[in-house]
Amino acid sequence: MEEKYPLADWLNDEISDEATAKIVGTPAFETLQKIKKYSATLQTTAFDEPEMLATILASKNKNKTNVIPLYNHWVFKVAAIILLSIGSLFMFQNFTQTKYVADIGQKTNFTLPDASEVALNAGSEIEYQKYNWDRNVDLNGEAYFKVAKGKRFEVATSLGKVAVLGTEFDVKSRENRLDVTCYEGRVQVNYKKYQVLLSQGQSVTFENNKQIDQTVTISKPEWLRNKIVFDKENLMQIIAELERNYDVKIKANLFQTGALFTGKVPSDNLEVALNSIAATYQLKIIKTDSKSIIFEKK
Amino acid sequence: MTINEQTCDEIQFSAFFKSHCKALRNFLIYKFGNLEKAEDMTQEAFIKLWQNCADVPLEKAKSYIYTIANNGSLNEIAHQKVVLNYEKNFVGNDTNNENPEFQLEEKQFKVKLQNAIDKLNETQRIAFLMHRIDGKKYAQIAEELGISVKAVEKRIHLALQALRKEIDTIK
Repeated sequence: MEEKYPLADWLNDEISDEATAKIVGTPAFETLQKIKKYSATLQTTAFDEPEMLATILASKNKNKTNVIPLYNHWVFKVAAIILLSIGSLFMFQNFTQTKYVADIGQKTNFTLPDASEVALNAGSEIEYQKYNWDRNVDLNGEAYFKVAKGKRFEVATSLGKVAVLGTEFDVKSRENRLDVTCYEGRVQVNYKKYQVLLSQGQSVTFENNKQIDQTVTISKPEWLRNKIVFDKENLMQIIAELERNYDVKIKANLFQTGALFTGKVPSDNLEVALNSIAATYQLKIIKTDSKSIIFEKK
Repeated sequence: MTINEQTCDEIQFSAFFKSHCKALRNFLIYKFGNLEKAEDMTQEAFIKLWQNCADVPLEKAKSYIYTIANNGSLNEIAHQKVVLNYEKNFVGNDTNNENPEFQLEEKQFKVKLQNAIDKLNETQRIAFLMHRIDGKKYAQIAEELGISVKAVEKRIHLALQALRKEIDTIK
């Protein structure tokens, strides 16, 4: 049998007359009626619904936009960019090389960070670390150095190393021939297993593992005075040197010669230079255009 | 528009909030008697619904907020006195009896009723006040509390008996 809760029905105004009769008139009824009457007027305190709704709706935006993690702040982004820039500049300065190039047919002069002067001959290049200067340069070609006094100064070439203290000297590193001439002070030349100490007026040439010692009387390399000096050099070397100096292409057709040439030709007058060489080797000069020359056997 | 998008829609959410916030808040007040806590928990429940709106279909939103409110209340502070008010502009049916003596008696009864309500056990008080204050039907209360209608009736019945007993004993 189903349990009955007459009071619940009565409170809900769903009670049958029969059941009502059982409650009405009992001593408790008066109190129950009062409970029913007064409890109907009960309220909870009012509260600000719109404000709470606003807070709730804002909570989503807050999480998405207003709450910006500290590391996302623009100041940190700017700081990171600045730091990276400084860092990469530092890296750049420390690890990148400064490069000077004298193109074919051109010469250039510049000063190194320690005030040493360099004259770079045509078709040569020098690399060094400008921001981490340690008196080391890499040379490819020919250059004349007037080195400021100080610590050991080194010129590295593909053929060998030249180390000095404070002096004037010329280094020429072409193909497989290394020429070093000392004009002042002392120069140490390392070529493979050879080590040569040059003092003023001395010159050394290494070619194909052969060492040739010489003395010089001039105080500056000839190329600085627009002269090309050949010292027992073969035709191929001469042609290469002329090509570098005059920015021309020279072809030597149909002959082989082992004759070595010693002498000077101008580096600012192609006609004279070509004629000197042509006369020596008994060649015919054919100019195909302003930049191309062919040597032919007479 | 899918069901879940409805919950995320600000207008729909606001409408849902308006129709349920008071009842939820009241439910928590009946349970704990702590007004401030009840409002905090109400707000917390709706914030969770709003933030997870994409996961909660609107039709399940109601049970969702009640679940959160209930879970959040498991470890909550001890029950405090249930603070309730009477309608200020309530005028009794018996206008004839509005003499000072009657008014005093009425006032005393109201205090007694409040004290008695506060002494009810939690389940009875919640069911009783949901009916009396929120004006909910027994079926609705049953649904929200997750119990049968019969169980609601039983709680109401027992609540009335307990209240009556408490009030008359003091008398």
